[in-house]
Amino acid sequence: MEYKLRKAEPKDVPDILRLVKELAKYEEMENQVTLTEQDLLEDGFGDTPFYHCVIAELQPQSSDGLEVVGFAMYYFTYDPWVGKQLYLEDFFITQEYRGLGIGSHIMRHLSDLAMKTRCSGMMFVVAENNESSIQFYKRRGAEDLSQEEGWRLYRFDKESLVKMASAREE
Amino acid sequence: MDYKIRAARKEDCKDIARMIMELAVFEKMPDQVKISYKELERDGFCQNPFFECLIAEVSDAHRSKCGNGIGKSLMSKVAKIAAEKQCVRLQLSVLDWNSPARDFYAAKGAQDLTDSEGWHFIRFDGLSLDNLVKEAPQD
Repeated sequence: MEYKLRKAEPKDVPDILRLVKELAKYEEMENQVTLTEQDLLEDGFGDTPFYHCVIAELQPQSSDGLEVVGFAMYYFTYDPWVGKQLYLEDFFITQEYRGLGIGSHIMRHLSDLAMKTRCSGMMFVVAENNESSIQFYKRRGAEDLSQEEGWRLYRFDKESLVKMASAREE
Repeated sequence: MDYKIRAARKEDCKDIARMIMELAVFEKMPDQVKISYKELERDGFCQNPFFECLIAEVSDAHRSKCGNGIGKSLMSKVAKIAAEKQCVRLQLSVLDWNSPARDFYAAKGAQDLTDSEGWHFIRFDGLSLDNLVKEAPQD
């Protein structure tokens, strides 16, 4: 099946949000998505983009138009030990179109981009119960840093952030 | 103890590199540090910086020790910046055996998502990243 990978444009924002929600549903955490199309538009296509997005689109057999069937949302971050890293934030192909090589193609595209922008690595998180994704990454030589080095992901939510921000200086 | 928290300047990169190494030694992974102050200067103080940095400096020749509230002040300043920029979350990684750090963050309301939701950090670098680039189309 013929598909095309391209850089996301502002018009893709509704599809990006749709896929973000589909991925969150797959991860059984859909109620955590509070992002809106407006947020995605401002944050991705304003003066300072906070994320970049590549999307996969194709023409389904049943219709005339094009459908966005997969996406990868990423941004550049920094590791104080090795420098620039590409951080893969969300990566998802709609169930119907998995197994066609679209995911592999996106990975290849992103790793190529990482090399071109002088990133020494590509990083992301995966849930330990997501067996198929873990296998997908391990097959390609990824390291599980949580397992191998003991790194744990910690998060402060908005409430704790506000509390910390207003803490009295000692 | 008199100290000041401020945004890092290019001239601070040598000190920042020194402290990155001190932290890496503490984390028992000093051989993983591959960059020097030069990369920090290039990547943090260019047109579109890849990182921002806050530093704490003491006015005299006092050696900084833990327990003076400097860590809390730094976190507070980071949180202020996050709130100003309308961030909804602050995420970080910490080593499983680093109890003082884990306790410090937990006391301030952080959640261990590796524990509660099973998230693992994954990385492709070096050879595995090269291989991904060359990978054949078939899965």
